[in-house]
Amino acid sequence: MRASDYVVLRTQALRKTYRVAGGRNLVAVDGVDIALHAGETLAIVGESGSGKSTVARCVLRLVEPTGGDIEVNGRSIMQLGSVSLASLYREVQMVFQDPTASLNPRMTVRQVLHEPLRLHLAMERSQREKRALALVDMVGLPAAHLDRYPHELSGGQRQRVGIARAIAAEPNVVILDEPTSSLDVSVRGQILDLLLRLQAELKLAYLFISHDLQVVRHVADRVAVMYLGGIVETGPAEAVFARPTHPYTRALLSAAPVAQWGVKRVRLRLIGEISSPIDPPDACRLVGRCPLEQPSCSRKRPPLLAVDAEHSAACPVVLGHEREAIPGAEALSRRSGGEGGATGARL
Amino acid sequence: MSDVLLSVENFSGAFRAADGRLTPVLHDVNFALRTGAITAVVGETGSGKSLTALSILGIQPATFVRTSGRILFEGRDLLTLGATALRAIRGRRISMVFQDARAAMNPVFTVGQQLAEVFRLQHGGSRDAAMAKAIDALRRVSIPEPERRARQYPHEFSGGMAQRAMIAMAALICRPTLLILDEPTTGLDVTIQSEIMELIVELGRSAGLTACLITHDLGVVAETCDAVVVMNAGRVVETGTAEAIFTAPQHAYTRKLLAASLLVPA
Ligand SMILES: Nc1ncnc2c1ncn2[C@@H]1O[C@H](COP(=O)(O)OP(=O)(O)OP(=O)(O)O)[C@@H](O)[C@H]1O
Ligand SMILES: Nc1ncnc2c1ncn2[C@@H]1O[C@H](COP(=O)(O)OP(=O)(O)O)[C@@H](O)[C@H]1O
Ligand code: SF4
Ligand SMILES: [Mg+2]
Ligand SMILES: [Mg+2]
Repeated sequence: MRASDYVVLRTQALRKTYRVAGGRNLVAVDGVDIALHAGETLAIVGESGSGKSTVARCVLRLVEPTGGDIEVNGRSIMQLGSVSLASLYREVQMVFQDPTASLNPRMTVRQVLHEPLRLHLAMERSQREKRALALVDMVGLPAAHLDRYPHELSGGQRQRVGIARAIAAEPNVVILDEPTSSLDVSVRGQILDLLLRLQAELKLAYLFISHDLQVVRHVADRVAVMYLGGIVETGPAEAVFARPTHPYTRALLSAAPVAQWGVKRVRLRLIGEISSPIDPPDACRLVGRCPLEQPSCSRKRPPLLAVDAEHSAACPVVLGHEREAIPGAEALSRRSGGEGGATGARL
Repeated sequence: MSDVLLSVENFSGAFRAADGRLTPVLHDVNFALRTGAITAVVGETGSGKSLTALSILGIQPATFVRTSGRILFEGRDLLTLGATALRAIRGRRISMVFQDARAAMNPVFTVGQQLAEVFRLQHGGSRDAAMAKAIDALRRVSIPEPERRARQYPHEFSGGMAQRAMIAMAALICRPTLLILDEPTTGLDVTIQSEIMELIVELGRSAGLTACLITHDLGVVAETCDAVVVMNAGRVVETGTAEAIFTAPQHAYTRKLLAASLLVPA
């Protein structure tokens, strides 16, 4: 359920391109609109290289967006100078995939936690010490661990430190980029429980990047599916998982195996591998891989079209806007509207 | 038991530190691989899966020492074989697919050259004939335009494509009796992962391979494996058919692993 209608983070037509060899453009993010509401979890899922991390890096201004707008609490952050960047980091923080790489090996946990308190909140030493103690307690680490270095902690404990650092300055948005993918499954569960508890206690909004569909289904209120720089489907998590509509979403959901005996999946298969993000044509991003492809798919890039009130997908063929479509597409389209979604709904 | 291709029996091992002290990491490991079956070895990081597999091939780290036990392959103890005898088995009878295929390949030779070279080492013949075999193997693992791809270097391959090439080498060029795969799909996209697993199963069935799949992904195991070995902290805690492990797990650790793997039931 959406916790609030207040939008804490919004991107509009966000675009990031990189100039690559031969003067050509690699389009990493291509017109992404997201709205993250206070207290909710919006998950971004998608193929490797689809631009998920680039969206996160743009929001934190770790890379300069090429175009579009980003607003935090209603204020554009596109023109921030270095002074006001500090205020951005009070509101938006990040947890990285690899807690080992993202923690300075020469800093103790105490030093790691003191840093944002000093930089963003200008706290003095005694206050910082009190807050650091509260933080390790909040993320379930014993106070004695404040004196440890990252290499003296397990992977899960390091990720707890990464989370404590992110919430130290009391942001209202935390971006989590694959926060559990370097962890074992049992540790994954503990970290997810921690994140859900902190979200409830601190009213945090999460932008949750993950390729682990089990995790997304477990934590997300809403989902955005990215493919080659663009969002191809978005909606409430239950709707997207129950009625995946875009062929890429169907392929993705139906590809994930389930750790349960006797589950049969109906696969929707894509052909070959993801196409190049360099100078992409004005066509559907799935052209060349899509089993439902029509000639019209190559003529222009389809926009997001309504599946129902809050659920949309960028495929006119499946959504019946192309009535001359092949019978297979018709069948899929009907099923996607029906009970429970026979295709790829199972995880 | 004639249908057992390989058995690991009471196998224990330790790491020897610079000062000579031993840190035990494998404790009395026991399991068997049935001929023609796909057996999964599952467990969390550090449970000893890779060390067990590397020991089967005789390519364990230099500081790892066996402290007891044996590994029988077709009745012969691999751990007592001399270097020559072991070389005849390694690669030819038992081959392995590693997690990061791009890193496991030689960056200065084309993919085709590497497959062809392995073919010539094991089966002889001319360079041209070996390259033809290499291209054919790439085609059989569904690499598009295999002639062109054979001329490319590993870094020009995507992760999924490199893994296919690695499987082509380990399964089709080496033509082993036993194929060991250590986390062959970890780090790949979900859609690519499932295609790689299908390829492995299909090659297993069509080439009559016995396979040992090391993984921490129980979803993959439920869909593709016949038997399961569960490891925890250097010990085998449970073995059984895949169905038994998923439907009637006996050991508390197995149950915990299953519960953690299934955040949201289907
Ligand atoms: N500094 C850079 N220079 C050139 N290209 C880049 C740069 N950073 C990212 N890219 C490209 O931008 C695209 C999007 O990359 P990004 O890291 O956002 O993907 P992602 O969705 O996070 O993938 P993953 O799931 O692998 O983390 C890719 O094609 C990537 O190769
Ligand atoms: N080269 C090494 N030196 C010292 N210890 C090692 C080395 N390789 C692995 N280990 C230790 O051996 C144990 C088993 O490792 P491994 O077989 O790689 O586990 P898995 O493959 O199940 O993750 C772990 O405790 C690991 O830390
Ligand atoms: S628009 Fe065409 S190519 Fe794109 S997903 Fe839909 S059917 Fe496939
Ligand atoms: Mg990323
Ligand atoms: Mg391993």
